Amino acid sequence: MQDILRALAEHGPWIVFFNVFLEQVGIPVPALPTLIVAGALAARGELSAPALLAAALLATLTVDTAWFFLGRRHGQRILKTLCRVSLSPDSCVRQTRGVFERWGMPSLIVARFITGFSTVAPPLAGAMGARLGPFLFYDTLGTFLWAGSGLLVGHVFHRAIDRILESLEHLGSRALFVLGGALVLFVLLKWYQRRRFYRTLRMARIGIEELRDLIGRGAQPLVLDVRSEVERRRQPQRIPGARPIETEAVDRDLSGVPAGSEIILYCT
Amino acid sequence: MARMLMDRGFRRVRPLAGGLDAWVSAGYDVEVEDFGEALAIKAPE
Repeated sequence: MQDILRALAEHGPWIVFFNVFLEQVGIPVPALPTLIVAGALAARGELSAPALLAAALLATLTVDTAWFFLGRRHGQRILKTLCRVSLSPDSCVRQTRGVFERWGMPSLIVARFITGFSTVAPPLAGAMGARLGPFLFYDTLGTFLWAGSGLLVGHVFHRAIDRILESLEHLGSRALFVLGGALVLFVLLKWYQRRRFYRTLRMARIGIEELRDLIGRGAQPLVLDVRSEVERRRQPQRIPGARPIETEAVDRDLSGVPAGSEIILYCT
Repeated sequence: MARMLMDRGFRRVRPLAGGLDAWVSAGYDVEVEDFGEALAIKAPE
């Protein structure tokens, strides 16, 4: 444990850099705890807060700019891959997109604070054709606030954090198990959420052949296109007879549809 | 979304496996939404 702290005190900015880097790449290692502890060390004068902030900014901007261009080139595909890597439920893509459509580029500021969201926002901005300049501006601002508040929390609560670190030190090498256990729990929790999400989806699927046959037989199922308007504009094809539907307006759009109707949903 | 519809009493709700991407890459018929009017086209066989 002391080794970890000593390493953090010696190589603080580097550790922050790699931690933030990995999180932005999409690996489920939360960087905020590292920032808070680093902030506490900075309060004791063992680390320089501006250097830590610069490290977090550099890591984020490096990764995010790469994501931005990947998003611009590969669009949709990269978003799907990302959600798989970050272990967040696929709904994260949809939620991110919804917020992005509503708030535009300033949503990058908020995105930073939400796990999963922060990794998806940069490629999404690229996929939606945002310009690099404003993207970098808002991404920098968001990262500044995010990393800054982590360091600030560490600074304000550095006494309490010192006590926690001390009790971890008393545990000696067992502290590693505590920390490792917390990380494993975090990853398992994400994995469980994702599995549960997939199980709901798997409840009953319809294959594309089956749907084509259904339509071909004249069964007239109600086919709902649950993509957002921005997605539909980007890819204007749709299954013949499909009706677009908004999540917020389900009750209005489906009033008068009998409960026994055959309903097929699709997104991208 | 499927959950939401089921909560509202619709019993026969099924998501399309593979989504629109699978439908399009299988070469099945699509309509092109023209934001205002929809125009039906045949996919090449």
